[in-house]
This record gives sequence, C-alpha cells and structure tokens, in this order.
Amino acid sequence: MSERVERAFLSTLQAVERQLPSPVSKRIDLLRELEADLEALSSGLESQGVPLEEARQRAVEALVPDPGVLRELARLHRPAYVRFTQGLERERLRILERSALGLTTAATVLAGAVGLSQADLLRDPSPFLVPVLALGAVLVGLVLMKGFQLWVKADHRQPDVGVRAILLLSGTILMTAFLGLFLDLFQLTRRLEAAPQLSSELVTRWIVQDAGLLSVALTLALLGGLSWFVLNHWQTLIWSRHRELLELPRAPANKPTP
Amino acid sequence: MAETNFDVQGFARDINQLLVLTTLREEAKHGYQIAVDIETESNGLFCFRHGTLYPILHRLEQGGFIRGSWSKGEGRRKKVYALTPAGRRHLNGETGRVQEIVSRLMELLPSLAEAST
Repeated sequence: MSERVERAFLSTLQAVERQLPSPVSKRIDLLRELEADLEALSSGLESQGVPLEEARQRAVEALVPDPGVLRELARLHRPAYVRFTQGLERERLRILERSALGLTTAATVLAGAVGLSQADLLRDPSPFLVPVLALGAVLVGLVLMKGFQLWVKADHRQPDVGVRAILLLSGTILMTAFLGLFLDLFQLTRRLEAAPQLSSELVTRWIVQDAGLLSVALTLALLGGLSWFVLNHWQTLIWSRHRELLELPRAPANKPTP
Repeated sequence: MAETNFDVQGFARDINQLLVLTTLREEAKHGYQIAVDIETESNGLFCFRHGTLYPILHRLEQGGFIRGSWSKGEGRRKKVYALTPAGRRHLNGETGRVQEIVSRLMELLPSLAEAST
C-alpha cells in the first residue's frame, strides 16, 4: 500500500497512542491493526467513488476509538499482574511489592551463599569477597526489580532507568575483585619478605583465596552483563518498533520516547 | 430460563459478540470487513462506530472464541480474525439463548400492549 495513505493516518495514530495507557507491545499491536483497517476502509470507500478526504474522514469516524472505548481497550489489555492486584490500595501494593522483591533477593543471595560456602575455593575467603558479594546482592535485586517492572507489571513509563546501573554494577564488581587481587598480592609480597620460609604455604593460600574471589566476581559480572544485554536488547527492539510505527524522531542517547 | 435477573447491558454486549461470531462463520475477516459485513447484512440496523468493534474483537480473542493472526495481502499486513471451534460452540449455544429471550420478550410485549390500552 502506498506511503501516502500511511502518512494520512499518522497523526490520528499518534493521538490515539497518547490516550492509550497499555503496555507498549499491546499499543503497537493495536495501532498497527487500526492503521491497516483505516487504510483498507478508506481505500474501499475510495474505490466506491467517495472522495479521498471524505473516505479518510469516514474511516476515522468508523474505526478510531473514542476515549471511552480506549479506556475499555486499556482495561482489557491490562497485564495479568495488574488485574490480580487491582483491589489493593496503591500504598499497600507498593509495600507488598518491595517486601516480595526484598525476600526474593534475600532468598537468591542466601542460595548463592550456601552454594559458595560448600565450594572448596571459598573455604578461606579473601576479605574483598565481602564487598563483591554485597555488590552482587544489589545487582541481583536490581535485575529482579527491572525484570518485574518491565515484564510482570508491564510498567514502561521509565524503561531505561536502572538498566545502565546493572552494567555499572557488573563493572564495579569486576574492578573490586581485581583491586582485591592486587592488594592481596601486595600483602603476600610483604609477608614473604617477613617470612620467606613460609613461601609455599602463603602462595598457595593466596592462589586459593583470589581464585575464589575472581570466580565469584566473574560469575556475578557475567550474569549482570547478560541481564543488561537482554534488557537493553528488548528495549531497543520494542522502542524502535514504536518509533518506526509512529515515525517518531530517534531520541538522543538511544533514549525511548515515552 | 436459568437467569433470574436479566442483565440488559450484558445482553447488548452478547448480541454484539454474536454478530461478530456470526459474520466469521464462513471465513476469516479483518476488523473493518467484519464491521462492514454486519452493517450490510443487517441493512444498517447494527453498525459499529468510533472503534467500538475493537474491544469486542479483543475480548472474544482473549476468550478463545476467535483467533487473530497477521496476514499479508496486497502489500500491507492486516490482522485477520477466524472463528475457533470454541467460538463455533459458543455461537450455537448463545444463538439458542438469544432466541429464547427474544421469544419470551415477544410473548410479553402483546400482553403489555393490551394492558396499556
């Protein structure tokens, strides 16, 4: 179909989009469906001899939902989570969500800690493992929060907030681990100077400590990086579909246009 | 009849849904074609305006009575809806219910008319 017809309904689609508080993927589907129907109906009317402008106007009147219908559509396409929790007060729901997030994060961290305590490499941990694990707990919490916000709650109002922090935290974990590695090495050299007869024992201990530290840091950073990639890729994909559909300008710094 | 309280608004919504299901009996159609066919077949008695068709279609789709799929014909992709087996069963069951309601209404109307004269 021609570009001419598509552009004719662009402002209508943009106006509808502004009044439709559904998740972005649902909005895109609905607007695509509406656009195709508008175009088909106006073409059909044109082929019956109706003048172009009148055909478009009649198509808009017949197919473009009024605010009441848009509200009904938005209600129909609420995410299951929103439907399930609609009876709860907003403040109470916020507290429940945060508590659930805290508990899930704590359970994940606990499971990780149990796993680590059973690993031989962590029997004699580096002191730098504590900040690495603390940062890892924050990372896990942030990933869970972002995933919950975008995919369970389908709240796309601030999609990019927190996503870059995941990457930053992953990098910080790695940097902390490497810093710990070098400081442990520095301490090792001082101990070796003081007690060269213990060199074998000290070097072995350093290797075990810092191998554990690096293993944990690399695992956490890898998980963080992977989570960032998935979140970022999903957002880029969905917002580029949104921009393409509504012919919106590309926002600076890859920021989606809400 | 099973219902003790008749829901007029619900009945109107059911009628709209039945109209959509009926027009999809023979073949799959896209949104505006469904609206046009209903209007034509009812001689203009039933017509959808201001996008009222979409909530009906999407509700039926969520209920599993119709299935929407994107098809590419003559250049642009369109969302086409087809009746599912569940939709066909629903249509048969609901048609009987509507017939019963209408026949009871028709029985009632003359007696009401007589009472008023």
